[in-house]
Amino acid sequence: MAYRTWQCENCGFLYEEEFGLPLEGISPGTRWEDIPDDFVCPTCGFAKSQFSMIEI
Amino acid sequence: MIPTDIAQTIIDPKAYAAQTPVDEAFKFLRREMPLDVAAPEGFDPFWVVTRHRDILEVERQSELFHNGDRSTVLANRTADQKVRAMMGGSPHLVRSLVQMDNPDHGYYRRLTQPYFMPQNIRKLEPRIREIAKSFVDRMAAKGGTCDFARDVAFLYPLHVIMEILGVPEADEPLMLKLTQELFGAGDSDMNREGKIATNEDEGLAAIMATVADFVAYFNKMTEDRRAHPRDDVASVIANGTVNGQPLGHFEAMSYYIIVASAGHDTTSNTTAGALWSLAENLGEFAKLKQNINGLLPSFIEESIRWVTPVKHFMRTATDDAEVAGRKIAKGDWLFLSYPSGNRDEEVFDDPFAFKVDRMPNKQIAFGYGAHVCLGQHLGRLEMRILWEELLPRLEGLELAGEPRRTEAAFVCGPKSLPIRFRMH
Repeated sequence: MAYRTWQCENCGFLYEEEFGLPLEGISPGTRWEDIPDDFVCPTCGFAKSQFSMIEI
Repeated sequence: MIPTDIAQTIIDPKAYAAQTPVDEAFKFLRREMPLDVAAPEGFDPFWVVTRHRDILEVERQSELFHNGDRSTVLANRTADQKVRAMMGGSPHLVRSLVQMDNPDHGYYRRLTQPYFMPQNIRKLEPRIREIAKSFVDRMAAKGGTCDFARDVAFLYPLHVIMEILGVPEADEPLMLKLTQELFGAGDSDMNREGKIATNEDEGLAAIMATVADFVAYFNKMTEDRRAHPRDDVASVIANGTVNGQPLGHFEAMSYYIIVASAGHDTTSNTTAGALWSLAENLGEFAKLKQNINGLLPSFIEESIRWVTPVKHFMRTATDDAEVAGRKIAKGDWLFLSYPSGNRDEEVFDDPFAFKVDRMPNKQIAFGYGAHVCLGQHLGRLEMRILWEELLPRLEGLELAGEPRRTEAAFVCGPKSLPIRFRMH
């Protein structure tokens, strides 16, 4: 499956599965569904449920 | 209770222009009383939130800590009473996203949010690059000296946001002047009267006159965009609806004003502050020059952290609450100090050093939570493009006089940055 990009609906922060978030402890290649449910947007603190998948 | 001299320092526009007194005051507060009450003479008491984690904690809870219930910028009792008397009881001269809470904040934010998302902003890159190149060429043509704040940093983000908003180039000087009057009201180089106001009436009258000029300008623009909509943000505001109704006049004017002022001034301050830091830290400049593409993202985040152009916002507790073990009562007013959060020793290693390769860098200059800056992606893009165009051509750099910051306790950055440089 191709890597996908997810966006915080509040601030626009992008989570790109290909790159992960190494500084947040999320390795490159981590799928969105494998990210813990208590994940919050690193730039605005909104919940994982407030992200949506987008085409870039 | 915070000692009076410290409380006076953290609200003093001159102290922000000098910066060191403010840095020292917040260093003391973070160490000794990170969340405590200040009550400078003439002001209602307010909590001063100095630590990074406590600022996030307050901003994250936007239902518990409201923006709009009291003034969002620190105001003394006299100014607050006068504003309320003029505005039918409201503590605000404008009602933009900054002064709103939900549900209105969400409705109004969604109106322009798609325009400022990264995927849309990215489409603007070719045009922003043309603008950046023209400013870099103009700087090169200055022959080795310029005032980088006035000749480049004030004007480049101004031109970008005015194109996005739909303001013609001929009116950009007016927009810059009104913005500087608004944010530099306490600085005689920037404000409307060219002098320090001697009383509240004088100061308020000057700000009201500035707001009135903005409103007169944007009234005309609204009429035009309703008759002839274009692909610009002014058309979105002029023709936008909230819950099926056109925007209220006050809210629409406030929307224009925030885009036309905050939409460039903060990026200008950060850009000028970044070059100032490079001129004072030639080792960092050399490091950056050796790996421009690799270090640009961290250099930009560090510039934003270093300058932190928005110095504070106020919040009001909507209920009894507890933050960092302190009991906050319903109705209490809180002063969120972003420069203090961005120098927090618990979060930033060697926080008073400017490091182009700082990593990680969880700077909070854009705020956090529901009110996080809508224009942050545009600001970063503008800076990246300008530096991509300027840094490869910039060989030598030094200060050519004493830089000066605006005297302001709300939004503050360099107002003059004389430099000598070599470019190819």
